[in-house]
Amino acid sequence: MIIAERKPMKELLGMISGVKRLLIVGCRGCVAVCSAGGDKEVSILAAALKLGVKKAGGDIEIDTDTLVRQCDPEYIEPLNDRGSDYDAVLSMACGVGVNFIGDRCPDVNVLPALNTTFYGANLSSGEWKEMCAGCGACVLHLTGGLCPVARCAKSLSNGPCGGSQGGRCEINPDVDCIWQQIYDKLASMNRKDELREIMPIRDWTTAGHGGPRRRIREDLLP
Amino acid sequence: MSRIKGFCCNYTLSVDIEALKKEGLVPEDLEIERLPCTGRLEVPEILDAFTEGADAVFVVGCQVDKCHNLSGSYRASKRVKYAKKILEELDINPDCVEMFFAGRGETEPVVEAARTMASRVDQ
Repeated sequence: MIIAERKPMKELLGMISGVKRLLIVGCRGCVAVCSAGGDKEVSILAAALKLGVKKAGGDIEIDTDTLVRQCDPEYIEPLNDRGSDYDAVLSMACGVGVNFIGDRCPDVNVLPALNTTFYGANLSSGEWKEMCAGCGACVLHLTGGLCPVARCAKSLSNGPCGGSQGGRCEINPDVDCIWQQIYDKLASMNRKDELREIMPIRDWTTAGHGGPRRRIREDLLP
Repeated sequence: MSRIKGFCCNYTLSVDIEALKKEGLVPEDLEIERLPCTGRLEVPEILDAFTEGADAVFVVGCQVDKCHNLSGSYRASKRVKYAKKILEELDINPDCVEMFFAGRGETEPVVEAARTMASRVDQ
């Protein structure tokens, strides 16, 4: 899922400086699952901003809502009517939701409440880890399902660098060297000889270096 | 006079708070909200108490391993911890909110919690 985290309170208070009527809009998609922008986080943020504005001597009226998703038009387009009644709409979705409101709701002053951080998995309650870089050219079939693009600090394609020591990455001793793990995994599956095959130079245009990406399925188009 | 708001569960406060005030055992401007269980308390309620004028907020739940609802007071303590983080971000002293634990029907820890918070505000 997409992992995000709330922006620092001071940044948010600066963003809504001068706003008298604010609508905070959560999302029940990924950001609800990673406890960043679901119903609960919306109510916490509303209470925190009210307190912050009051402490600064101001006054603000805050309404809240949480949409099923903010990345589908049917859920956000009602904001065209409703959102324009507010000085600002603070979206607690990932950057996709904020952009989509920005695109589709021209009269809405949309602001981001979250920093969108990575595609990750839930390790335990309150802990998430990056697992995918969304690079658009998956090589997981060659690496035992472990991604060297997202999980190697240098996104190396053909084995570890010299900074791999004792199975750890040189950037931080708490970070596993993913190439050590790939080797161990393939070795345990009697597939380590596959690592002798040199991966070709990657075409990074699929990773966003060729501009915004778009996917089309002709059979689903209207 | 400092305004103190306390949230207590049904099991940690068995006496009338007004009686405690009359005896001078707790600050006069203490308001207590009794909950079925402190596990029901959410972060916005803590923050709203400050917005509504409280100078300090405390929560008294059952001892962690003796909560009537198993993990209610533990959950409350985690919410208090998160409320502290938000207060800190807002440049409000995080010590203005605190979690306390008490045995069933014990009044003394509640009195002590109220006094502790009043003294923190006075500092």
